[in-house]
Amino acid sequence: MDTTTQPPRTLVDSRGSSCPGPITDLSMAYRRSTVGDVIELWATDPGVKSDARAWSQKTGNPILSLDERADGTIVVIIEIKRR
Amino acid sequence: MRQRIVVLGGGTGGTMLANSLDRRRFETTLVTASTTHLFQPGLLYVAFKNAGTPLVRDERGLLARHVHLVHDTVTSVDLTHQLVETAGGSRLAYDRLVVATGIQTDPSGIPGLADVVGRVGDYHSTVSQARLLWQSLDRFRGGTIALGQTTPICKCPPSPIEGILLADELLRRRGLRERSRLVFFTPYPRPYPAEPMNHVVEPILKERGIEVATFFDVDRIDPESFTLTSIEGDVIECDLPILVPPFTGAPIAYEPAGVLDESRFVRTDPRTLRVRGTGTAFAIGDATSLPTSKSGVGAHLEAQVVARTLRGSPATFAGRTHCPFDLAHGRGTFVAGTYDAPVVPSPPSRLKHVMKATFARLYWLSLRGTLDPALDLYFRLTDPARPRWRGLRGPHPGT
Repeated sequence: MDTTTQPPRTLVDSRGSSCPGPITDLSMAYRRSTVGDVIELWATDPGVKSDARAWSQKTGNPILSLDERADGTIVVIIEIKRR
Repeated sequence: MRQRIVVLGGGTGGTMLANSLDRRRFETTLVTASTTHLFQPGLLYVAFKNAGTPLVRDERGLLARHVHLVHDTVTSVDLTHQLVETAGGSRLAYDRLVVATGIQTDPSGIPGLADVVGRVGDYHSTVSQARLLWQSLDRFRGGTIALGQTTPICKCPPSPIEGILLADELLRRRGLRERSRLVFFTPYPRPYPAEPMNHVVEPILKERGIEVATFFDVDRIDPESFTLTSIEGDVIECDLPILVPPFTGAPIAYEPAGVLDESRFVRTDPRTLRVRGTGTAFAIGDATSLPTSKSGVGAHLEAQVVARTLRGSPATFAGRTHCPFDLAHGRGTFVAGTYDAPVVPSPPSRLKHVMKATFARLYWLSLRGTLDPALDLYFRLTDPARPRWRGLRGPHPGT
């Protein structure tokens, strides 16, 4: 049995939403988060890449990964370190 | 046998939809808590220009005679058993339901906000609040005005920028601009959230000497010192805070509860406008979770889509927006887009300002559907997906 404690992960699905939908959803999830949470943002608008990087830099919450899947979904995983 | 249609909400979408349903085929009931109908975009001009144009009319007078009007507050909607309950004890069964309950301001989630908005006023809730904001601006004799939306969800996305530009115009007209600092704050990475339109807006803010604070999501406000602190840790001190409060959906209990998202917006299919997981309920206007701007034009076009579907010709919504945008000093622009044709920049002009004012004057007629042929043609001609329209907008200002 795996006893590793995983931080709470919040999935934010912004697929199909154009700019500024994904960053709106990310900001709202951040507002509801606490330190230690992980936010996983799914988006299809390519603008999310630069917006998420800028948001991460501003808020001091690091991006753990930023990948684009074969189906076009951009997945950004962010650790909430500051709140 | 006529279909029983229950429409929840007497705003733009609900009123237009109810009026568009034929009495021979539909038995239409509209439920609204308010006896009056507010033209919400007009609040901007009450707050920043002391406009005296009446913004409120009696809802009964705006509805076709065959629409049964129930003045009551909806408390619960049982989507499984197709039943609506009201605070007054009514139980309304329906064959098809249309949720058009709009959104409301909710300052309770941000410490200090209710106190500040109650003292200073705002331009997103009521006429009396907009008048209070005008009085606050009228008393202002110099110092710092900070204006912005407190959270990322905003009814009428152009309205924060419109507010700061009209504040700038007012101060210049009164000879107070030299003694004033204007700060526009936003939770977004740029002044206007949609990047293509930001290429139009950002140079105007710069030209007019308006400072911009990005990624500023309001966490709390000190109501004594008017100090705003963001969840990102930044601080703005000002003499007059003009704040767009957070918005939430109507306080209605749904069964199943999962049709509401975290902000109490109704989860809605973006194309068919059916409430997710149901076959008999639709949602339109600001009440929905649709990934598009919350605006009157959206509510209008969504009402048309649902009306067609109810008549037996299933239609889909393209995500069209067409928001008039006042840039002050008699100039304006439009923000137009669809799900598949994102916003493209539209050069400001005096004509677009006149068009915005004309649309406002025609609003009451549009609720009855009187202008639908002309408006349908206008929306077709200005469809952002049309190559001709894209050409008319001229080159990208950034190129």
